[in-house]
Amino acid sequence: MKTAAERQCRRLLEQLSRYIDGDLTAVERKAVAAHLRRCPCCRTMADSLKHTVELCHEAGAARLPADVTRRARARIASLLASDRSGRSRT
Amino acid sequence: MPATVTKQAHANPGVSRAGSRDTDYAALLRAAQAGNQAAMERLLMKSQEIAYRFSLLVCGHADDADDAMQEALLKTYRHAAQIKDPGAFRTWLYRTVKNACLISRRRRVGEPARLHSLDGDSLSLDGVSQPLELEDPGRRPDQVLENTRLRRALDRALLSLPPESRLIVFLREVEGLSTRDVAAVVGISEANVKTRLHRARLSLRERLEAP
Repeated sequence: MKTAAERQCRRLLEQLSRYIDGDLTAVERKAVAAHLRRCPCCRTMADSLKHTVELCHEAGAARLPADVTRRARARIASLLASDRSGRSRT
Repeated sequence: MPATVTKQAHANPGVSRAGSRDTDYAALLRAAQAGNQAAMERLLMKSQEIAYRFSLLVCGHADDADDAMQEALLKTYRHAAQIKDPGAFRTWLYRTVKNACLISRRRRVGEPARLHSLDGDSLSLDGVSQPLELEDPGRRPDQVLENTRLRRALDRALLSLPPESRLIVFLREVEGLSTRDVAAVVGISEANVKTRLHRARLSLRERLEAP
């Protein structure tokens, strides 16, 4: 049998992603924030989940390796040049 | 796409530093359709960057990346002029990259071009994969090292997710698509995206926290 506190933690866990994404109503957001202030375990969980999300964001902001970028640029130049030469023949 | 280059209307339409998160694809497409060659080149570069990240993070096969990048490049170049709604371009681009990556994998290993065919134990980071370089070159060496470790851990954690969850995390978290756009690319409801994303985040967190 779960205690009321455990049920509250469980409910918070379900709402955590929406909390991080700013996808809760004002009332829900306040309730989650209040619970996080009271419950160190859920606070650790929230911080950790937020960190995971931030790490994914960083992966999206990363540069491609230099040789991959060089090959990509060369492909574009080749495509545009072949298109231009094709048009000039017609 | 018309090859004629007209005078550039914007210096850097849809410009962003790296990644896809801050790029205004609609602005980039409009400029490219108006004949801005710089915008077209940026669009073509973006499509290849997305294909590379997709190959690495969703498919887990960086050796397929060149084929997928070539396919994404050609499709973007051929079809960019025909897209009537620039606002819909971004979802089109991600669907195109997804298909390009799946087709290149099928060609290589003779697999059917379905996402779940990429699932399972066969997925691994192959020996030739190169980690994406972190954007901030000003970081201290120990920070760079720690970030590289975290990046590799993230790559492994991503590949441990079921394919559809991996795709959702990639689109939403790595590429920064809205929930609505993720739903459009994957072909499920927004509510479903949110549920799966939450589960996937919990699973990623658990793997990243594991000793």
